[in-house]
Amino acid sequence: MKKENHGLLRPCTLIWLLLLALTVATYVAAELGLQGQGLVMGVLTIALIKGQLVADWFMGLRRVGSFWRPVLSGYLLIVGTFIAVAFLLPQG
Amino acid sequence: MTNPIPETTNTKSPPGDLAIWVFILAELSVFGALFVVYAFARRYNVELFDHYQLTLDRTAGLINTVTLITSSYFVVRAVAAIKRGNSPTCSRWLSAAILLGVLFLVVKGMEYQHHFSQGIGLSTNLFYTFYIALTFFHFMHVIMGMVILTVVAIKAHRGGYSAEEHTGVETGASYWHMVDLVWLILFPLIYVMH
Repeated sequence: MKKENHGLLRPCTLIWLLLLALTVATYVAAELGLQGQGLVMGVLTIALIKGQLVADWFMGLRRVGSFWRPVLSGYLLIVGTFIAVAFLLPQG
Repeated sequence: MTNPIPETTNTKSPPGDLAIWVFILAELSVFGALFVVYAFARRYNVELFDHYQLTLDRTAGLINTVTLITSSYFVVRAVAAIKRGNSPTCSRWLSAAILLGVLFLVVKGMEYQHHFSQGIGLSTNLFYTFYIALTFFHFMHVIMGMVILTVVAIKAHRGGYSAEEHTGVETGASYWHMVDLVWLILFPLIYVMH
């Protein structure tokens, strides 16, 4: 395909590679047999970071005004918090 | 060498049609609720969920995650191409993204086939109920996204978009990125976390 020179492409290419690296890190952590709270916190944090990277760079929300980016960030935070609570808090 | 295009300046509106963003928020809300319900269902059935999670093909999950991330990146390239007014390149990147969508469906289909051939179904146990329901719900969104990208790719191929007017490309792209984003949470939640 024709080579493009776009102000966004280089950072987006780096973000793509970073997303792949974080995905492989998640997989390797599981394959190594890691488990428990450390795995849950690590993997969940990575997932939320990846989600924010997609929202910011692929969806282009980092340049969007004061509503949409906070909504997406808040979504990730709320869902992530509930999942963390469900996985990590001891049952009463 | 083409002329570089500066980053778009800050704007109040997200890329694409505003309606798709309302739809995206609705979709994310549904998936988010399902993720939380899954997590709390597991909380009260830890042994069951952890045991049957081991029956999943984590490598297939990895392949599908890499596939969707790369597909999303191709869509970014398509949007960049149309912003330069290059419809043929935009169409080719979208076609490549759609092909990766097909790969996702094939890999996921093979996973389903493996489970179904062992007599596993929605009613086998609570873990499989969630696994099949959640992943199939996402599966249907992948198909929907591919249909949207196909329509956009055909229109781009026919020169229906330009550097000045490419809302349709951005709208389809936004939906596809949402499908990717959902999977980025779904994969670790169902295949990895225990």
